[in-house]
Amino acid sequence: MQQILSFLPACLWGFFACLAFGLVFNIHGWGILICGFGGALGWFVYQAVQHMAHNDIIAAFLSAVVIAVYSELMARIRRCPVTGYLQIALLPLVPGAGIYYAMRYCVAGENEMFLSTLLHTFGFAAALAVGAMLASTIMRSLLPRFYHRH
Amino acid sequence: MDYDSLLNMGSELGYQLMYSGAEIYRVEESVLRLLTAYGLQPQVFAIPNCLIVSVNTPNGHPITRMRRIPAHGTDIELLERCNGLCRKLCREVLPVSEAKELIDQLGKKKQTYPTHVLLRGYMAAAMFFAAFFGGGLQDAVSAGICGLAVGGWILYIGAKLGFNGFFQTLIGAVIATQMGLWMVHLGFGSNLEAISIGTLMLLVPGMALTTAMREIMAGDIISGMSRTADAILTATAISLGVVVALAIGG
Repeated sequence: MQQILSFLPACLWGFFACLAFGLVFNIHGWGILICGFGGALGWFVYQAVQHMAHNDIIAAFLSAVVIAVYSELMARIRRCPVTGYLQIALLPLVPGAGIYYAMRYCVAGENEMFLSTLLHTFGFAAALAVGAMLASTIMRSLLPRFYHRH
Repeated sequence: MDYDSLLNMGSELGYQLMYSGAEIYRVEESVLRLLTAYGLQPQVFAIPNCLIVSVNTPNGHPITRMRRIPAHGTDIELLERCNGLCRKLCREVLPVSEAKELIDQLGKKKQTYPTHVLLRGYMAAAMFFAAFFGGGLQDAVSAGICGLAVGGWILYIGAKLGFNGFFQTLIGAVIATQMGLWMVHLGFGSNLEAISIGTLMLLVPGMALTTAMREIMAGDIISGMSRTADAILTATAISLGVVVALAIGG
């Protein structure tokens, strides 16, 4: 319980960050809150899985799966394209930190750390992409009746 | 039936969809469904900056329209409106002149936030991302100031100077990292990582990456690859910007 509570502040910041990105990508109305909740949910799952499995690639994969399921459901309920919800909810997980750290190692001349951080960042991005796509594909085959591609 | 205006109508819808940053399969399928609803058998082909729509009239005369799509960002509101209109037209099949009027309105009556709201959006995003990456209150405020600078560069200066995306992102990353360093040197913020990464999150190619993967999974390999290349280029620009700033100020 204590552990779960300690996850919440970051989720809250993720929520607000996604709202701000909703403005930048020109989302109006309720959609912006849906994106925010998606971002918070994804980050909660990420932290929980990382706490249990101690592997951030698996955590990224599973949180991308949860975000994709959530966005597909919301898109069906609101009859809107899933694109916006999915992309903005995934933003807190995009490895901006990985790029930054890799480049810091590069400047410091620590080539081994640079390469391993860079490869790790690629792996992280690939896990996100594959997780989201897998969940979207499964959701579409599970919900054929509601499925309108646009 | 007026095939020319039907074709214009379909290609205009596709153009607006592409302009809003929709995935290729969404564009192709929307135009296909729209024109099919009006009794045509269209062929639609799209790659990231080109859309080709072709139909055959009943007496065997082929007509084609090609639209080139200029560089564009992501506009979810426009995407949702195009999508809603396409559904409506497929369901109700309004008369061509009326439908054409509705589609022409899409591009003209754009609902966008004014620039100063966008600027505040950039600032808030940087602030909350700094907190998200473990920064305290002062770090978040510092990141907000950095975000304001990056947003100002992207919205006001970079676009007006006509810089291409690569250099715009590169200079944005230089500003983000350099201002983060200054904030820490001035003693205002303490957590350099949180400030810099929070601000850099404004530039990361999250959108391009996700769209690229969706397109590759949908089988649109050409556009998926070109968007992946775009995402990698943007990430390279960010990296170069960070290196430049760290080398100068670090």
